[in-house]
Amino acid sequence: MKTAKTTLEKVEAGLPRRRRKEMAFRAIGVLATAVGVLFLGVFFATLIAEGSSAFRQTFMQIEVELREDVIAPGGELDLVYADFDGLVRTALREQFPDVSGRSDRRQLYRIVSAGAGYQLRDMVEADPDIIGSRQTVWVPAASNVDMLVKGNIDPDIDESLRPISDKQVAWVNTLRDAGKLERRFNKALFTNGDSREPELAGIRGAVMGSALMLVVTIVLSFPIGAAAAIYLEEFAPKSRWSDLIEVNINNLAAVPSIVFGLLGLAVFINWMALPRSAPLVGGLVLTLLTLPVIIIASRAAIQAVPPSIREAALGLGASETQVVFHHVLPLALPGMLTGTIIGMSRALGESAPLLMIGMVAFIVDVPGGFADPATALPVQIYLWADSPERAFAERTSAAIIVLLGFLLLMNLAAVIVRKRMERKW
Amino acid sequence: MKMTAMTEVTTDNLEPPSVPPADSPGEEEHSAGIVLPDLAERPTELGETVGNIHCENPFMVAKNVDVYYGDNHAIQNVSLEIGKKEVIALIGPSGCGKSTFLRCLNRMNDSIESARVTGNITLDGKDINRKEQDPVALRARVGMVFQKPNPFPKSIYDNVAYGPRIHGLAADRAELDSIVHTSLERAGLLGEVKDRLDEPGTSLSGGQQQRLCIARTIAVNPEVILMDEPCSALDPIATARIEDLMDELCEDYAIVIVTHSMQQAARVSRRVAYFHLGLLVEVDETDKIFTNPQHKLTEDYITGRIG
Repeated sequence: MKTAKTTLEKVEAGLPRRRRKEMAFRAIGVLATAVGVLFLGVFFATLIAEGSSAFRQTFMQIEVELREDVIAPGGELDLVYADFDGLVRTALREQFPDVSGRSDRRQLYRIVSAGAGYQLRDMVEADPDIIGSRQTVWVPAASNVDMLVKGNIDPDIDESLRPISDKQVAWVNTLRDAGKLERRFNKALFTNGDSREPELAGIRGAVMGSALMLVVTIVLSFPIGAAAAIYLEEFAPKSRWSDLIEVNINNLAAVPSIVFGLLGLAVFINWMALPRSAPLVGGLVLTLLTLPVIIIASRAAIQAVPPSIREAALGLGASETQVVFHHVLPLALPGMLTGTIIGMSRALGESAPLLMIGMVAFIVDVPGGFADPATALPVQIYLWADSPERAFAERTSAAIIVLLGFLLLMNLAAVIVRKRMERKW
Repeated sequence: MKMTAMTEVTTDNLEPPSVPPADSPGEEEHSAGIVLPDLAERPTELGETVGNIHCENPFMVAKNVDVYYGDNHAIQNVSLEIGKKEVIALIGPSGCGKSTFLRCLNRMNDSIESARVTGNITLDGKDINRKEQDPVALRARVGMVFQKPNPFPKSIYDNVAYGPRIHGLAADRAELDSIVHTSLERAGLLGEVKDRLDEPGTSLSGGQQQRLCIARTIAVNPEVILMDEPCSALDPIATARIEDLMDELCEDYAIVIVTHSMQQAARVSRRVAYFHLGLLVEVDETDKIFTNPQHKLTEDYITGRIG
């Protein structure tokens, strides 16, 4: 007769199989994590490789004579009508005296940015005494020159296939050999609004637009969301109505954001007649978008407060409102704030609803108030990604880096807020 | 222990109903040797409460109290008097309604939406469920200590000062200080914490936390203290300290304590009420309950045959 196996033998017989399963599961886990990390790495690497060059911009040195008869004919200075571009052109002609013929000269003028004239105007405006003097200034080169210098345009391919001609390439080389071409920090990227000229385009307008929108969003959505969560969690009677509201809030959190944009267009712009493209309307739409997220996070935070604390306070004779404001809210606040900040970072990255309310317009001026036309950082990225100029490609990546930086800061703030408040309870 | 004395109802072959040694009343070896008394007149069915629900100096009086949780009839037709400055223990198997009854006494059931309480409970002659009675004012007079120590995540000082603060009991900081000190002293905790009143209440040990909760309750100066299994989460040493404390506190307060430990009921209470399946089966002096229970269910419970 076969002897019956003991329990130990049975367990040991099954052990290798169990170990194999465990190893297999571990391997799958490591693989999954590795894939995630790999994609993240590729994403950041390409982004930085693409975008980091946008933080530097090619400048060229020109010597301009600020001739009084050009800027202030008849002794009267009119900054708007003065021909600063003419001065730049003259300077270029002096630099390359052997360039003749209309078309060659026109090509020559195109190697310098259209912003050069504005730069001279700003100089004169700041210090009118320099009129009549000869100045050496560094002005931004045209974006195609910048691309050529950065190696994004290959000078060896056929002339008809590149946006810069052989002659222009030769002039750029001459300037470079003379030390009159230099790559400097691209200040314009951070101080200017949008522009059709890549070398003059900046994200300041978009950043301001986003900031103004977030101010509106946080001022509205945190108090409303927190109040709704407290009421629903602590005071609302449990009935069919409260169930219905709960289901709807959870549904709203999953509604595609563009739908909120359409709602904003219909209600805030068409019906309430608020200004189009304004951060005010953008903020209102983003408030609608983030409210469900904040309400859900806040309710979860309130639910996480142990019932024993509520009972203790009630047992001492605290009223329901006192229980909420003395005990539940201080304990739930870190969770509520974390939820709010995460909602805010979602709002910061949102572009679709803003397209609906006109924040996709081409706006050069930096917005100064809530009703000024503005665009937002993600929409700016969308606009630049859509632009044909080669130089906008690196600027798109640069703007993405800036946006990611802001998101990182906000999420960091969420972590810090959480840690701080938890220690203090 | 008090209840080892023999009683007159036992028949010749009955062993004295002894109290099980541990908190677990379900130990089988005890019941095995005991032969049930064969008394025809002894009630064995659930029905009217036997014993004496009245006391000399009633302060809280419950009359025909029923509690429903939705469709569940949690306690049925319970009437009980609670005297001034007496300790009364509510015992019974889990789910018998003793905690529910306790929570009726300071209207803590109000916060449970499905709960419905009928019947009449008076405090000092006044109905506590009447419309104009604010539960906040009631709970200031009828304090409560819970099963699990639940100090607020605040400092020890703020824990004790919270009640006086919300009720406006102290006119200034000095008076509040003195209330906090007296309460901690009466709870037997002052010596251990007087140098660290700023530390969080949650940093104390379990027994200290429970005494902090008691200090917090008596800081409001209630007239009745309800205790819902206050020692079930504590070790024997901490339990003994709380029991000593109850002995002292009953000089000033009426104490209603729910407990699963029959030794504890025997040690601290003057009267005992036995609940079973939502009914109040028997109420009497502690000695009588443990030595001469009138109801068969009571005897079964205290001898460890049910529970």
